[in-house]
Amino acid sequence: MHELWRFFLLFLGAALVYNILLIRFIALCPFFGISNRMETSIGMSISVIFVMVMATSVSWLAWNYALEPLGVGEFLYIPAFILVIASLVQFVEMVIKKTSPPLYKAMGIYLPLITTNCAVLAAATESVKPGFFTKLNIAYSYGFLEAVVYTLGVAVGFSAVLIIFAAMRERIDMAPVPKFFRGVPIAFMAAALFSLAFMGFAGMFKL
Amino acid sequence: MSGEEKAGQDKGGYLRELTKGFITTNPLLVLMVGLCSSLAVSTRVENCIFMGLAVIFVLTCSNVIISLIRRFIPEQIRIPIFIVVIASFVTIVDLTLKGYFKPVYDRLGVWIPLIVVNCIILARAEGYAYSNKVSFAALDGLGLGMGYTSVLLIMSVFRELLGTGKIVFGNTALINLGSDSMPVILIMFPGAFITFALLLALLQWYNARRKPEEEGEEG
Repeated sequence: MHELWRFFLLFLGAALVYNILLIRFIALCPFFGISNRMETSIGMSISVIFVMVMATSVSWLAWNYALEPLGVGEFLYIPAFILVIASLVQFVEMVIKKTSPPLYKAMGIYLPLITTNCAVLAAATESVKPGFFTKLNIAYSYGFLEAVVYTLGVAVGFSAVLIIFAAMRERIDMAPVPKFFRGVPIAFMAAALFSLAFMGFAGMFKL
Repeated sequence: MSGEEKAGQDKGGYLRELTKGFITTNPLLVLMVGLCSSLAVSTRVENCIFMGLAVIFVLTCSNVIISLIRRFIPEQIRIPIFIVVIASFVTIVDLTLKGYFKPVYDRLGVWIPLIVVNCIILARAEGYAYSNKVSFAALDGLGLGMGYTSVLLIMSVFRELLGTGKIVFGNTALINLGSDSMPVILIMFPGAFITFALLLALLQWYNARRKPEEEGEEG
């Protein structure tokens, strides 16, 4: 029971308290690029959750069974993780294309974009070096299950904010906005207020 | 990342390749790539200078290398090759900062690995360096890197000066307004979004003002 509670807190912490978009400023490019339409936001969210969890699992195994025992983790983690992500994305794309054409149609076009989604690399790094991006000085390292739960939290936090924000932008499109703020600038203003709201979660509980 | 550009057909030539990064194809304000790091590090002017230098270095070097080897890269696996080239330069920056500029690395360190997935660099590799010759690719990297840095500096001066009332380099304050009651929100998370929104609005205003004049000149 205690373990389960820990996982729950880890999940909520990753999703809300240290929300990857609004509190940590990671993965903003796809956020502003895609959030102007509801449909694309949902497609992107599903793909991100899927790829992120798989990428972290593989990166965690690579770190703990290859990079760290060989003593090359510090120098090679950037190229190693990004290669894992790039090849995984390519692989997932091929598998989905073969096995499920409808699913490929739904998330196929977002898959190549995920390679350059900083959130995936950030979550993978964070799962082997806890506290790296939150600057928290966490002394222990995550076990495999913890890493997966943590990543799931990050991905769900990303998706939730992306979908809520897409809904907001569809409303903003119909609102009377000052002339020079039309389009992207007002979206950033909305994000500022959104981020202000998320700051209310800060310090609620620790990771 | 679509829409490949071909350079050097018209008279502007080298100088235009270098200066286009500031306004016409500014990576942050116009292409809207590489937002994450710029919003996060622009709380201090000092951070921005180092971040800007890192991006200029990686962007120029990776553009040159990719442009040099572009004839030997098979099209199907070009993205992984680009990423390996970029990741090597990022690792150089990472280890250099860690070795020689420890205090800066402690504040900036987390953003250095993320330069790998900074869309600016991959977008330029794919959309420009892969289809242009070396000299243009180098200037393109230099110009866009400087455009990125200039926006970063504008944002950070605004945020640090108004948010904390002073601009600090190392341990000494260069400018000190001597006021304790400044809007701290500017150096916190929402401040980054607000500052960037104001900059974008400023650009839209500038474009709207410039356009009628140009049309008038032509007519």
